[in-house]
Amino acid sequence: MLLSLRWIAGALIVIIPVVASAAEPGAAGRIKVVSGSVVVVRAAVATPATAGQAVFEADTLRTGANGRVGITFNDDTRVSLGPDSEARLDQFIYMPAEKRGGLVLRIVRGLIAYVSGRIAKLSPDGVKLETPNAIVGVRGTTLALRVDAK
Amino acid sequence: MSRDPRLVVLLVTTACAGLCACGHPRVQPPQRQAGTLVVLLPDADDGTVGRAFVSTTSGMAELASARASTSVVGNGAAGTVAPLSEAEVQTLFGSALTTMPRHAHQFTLYFQFESDELTAESRALVPQVVQAVKDYPFPDVEVIGHTDTTGSAASNVELGMRRATLVRRLLLDAGLDGSIVDATSHGEADLLVATSDETMEPRNRRVEISVR
Repeated sequence: MLLSLRWIAGALIVIIPVVASAAEPGAAGRIKVVSGSVVVVRAAVATPATAGQAVFEADTLRTGANGRVGITFNDDTRVSLGPDSEARLDQFIYMPAEKRGGLVLRIVRGLIAYVSGRIAKLSPDGVKLETPNAIVGVRGTTLALRVDAK
Repeated sequence: MSRDPRLVVLLVTTACAGLCACGHPRVQPPQRQAGTLVVLLPDADDGTVGRAFVSTTSGMAELASARASTSVVGNGAAGTVAPLSEAEVQTLFGSALTTMPRHAHQFTLYFQFESDELTAESRALVPQVVQAVKDYPFPDVEVIGHTDTTGSAASNVELGMRRATLVRRLLLDAGLDGSIVDATSHGEADLLVATSDETMEPRNRRVEISVR
């Protein structure tokens, strides 16, 4: 019985897509909270950030003197930036079925808070918060960083 | 007690005076060194404290208790690990911490034995999921299919996907907008209960829903 169920599952592969995805393809997460001046820099073009907007690998988020932004990634990792801050999503890999994950955030300056998601469980060494003079690795946790640029 | 010296260190600027090549004395503007302050915080939802490792070119510091912090100035090593007070955390990081999106709401659903039917308890969660979505701005719902380790890894990815797709359909039938609901499969790679390969384990045959 169990075997036959699995045979059926195998037969169904041709008609079931690998991901029944409705969100924007390739997105790493979504901006959930924005206040004040915030821009997203993508391919060297800065555009104002809006709540609900998708975030992709290689995007930079930059806040102004009154700006704040909060993002929830596809693996439930959450990140927020305070004012006068800048961070780039250098890497986002979330492939749980292949047991692969990686999240690298480069914090150029300012204030950032981070709460671990599934990637930190999937690939504990794959999460790195990089600043100009330190690399922070995490084991399932909440962190806050302040970076004063040179 | 006096102010934490590490916070002061972080703000220190080192003034550098120099001479330009042609010999005219010139005062350079103060050169600020790069500074990083890291603090480990208890999880806002359940109070658990994880660990963090702060690596520099000259070594590593470990943070492993609530509000443990360290600073790195310029190319130096991570400074002494010491706790910040709750008030210091709020003063320094309040603007970022209050902007953190709400944590994801997780649901776990189970199927009847060798069936595509949810258990009665799990079916009753569907309206709760629909309700939870209303708590989130610009919500996303991820439906993740999981299996036990019986069968090949590849066939279990397919089986997990099939179950996630079924649950996604239930959520859409219950009123959720399809554009915010994704179905994915972790197959047998993300066990709730650790087992060896080829082990039947009902608790691993599940669908997780993450509302965020």
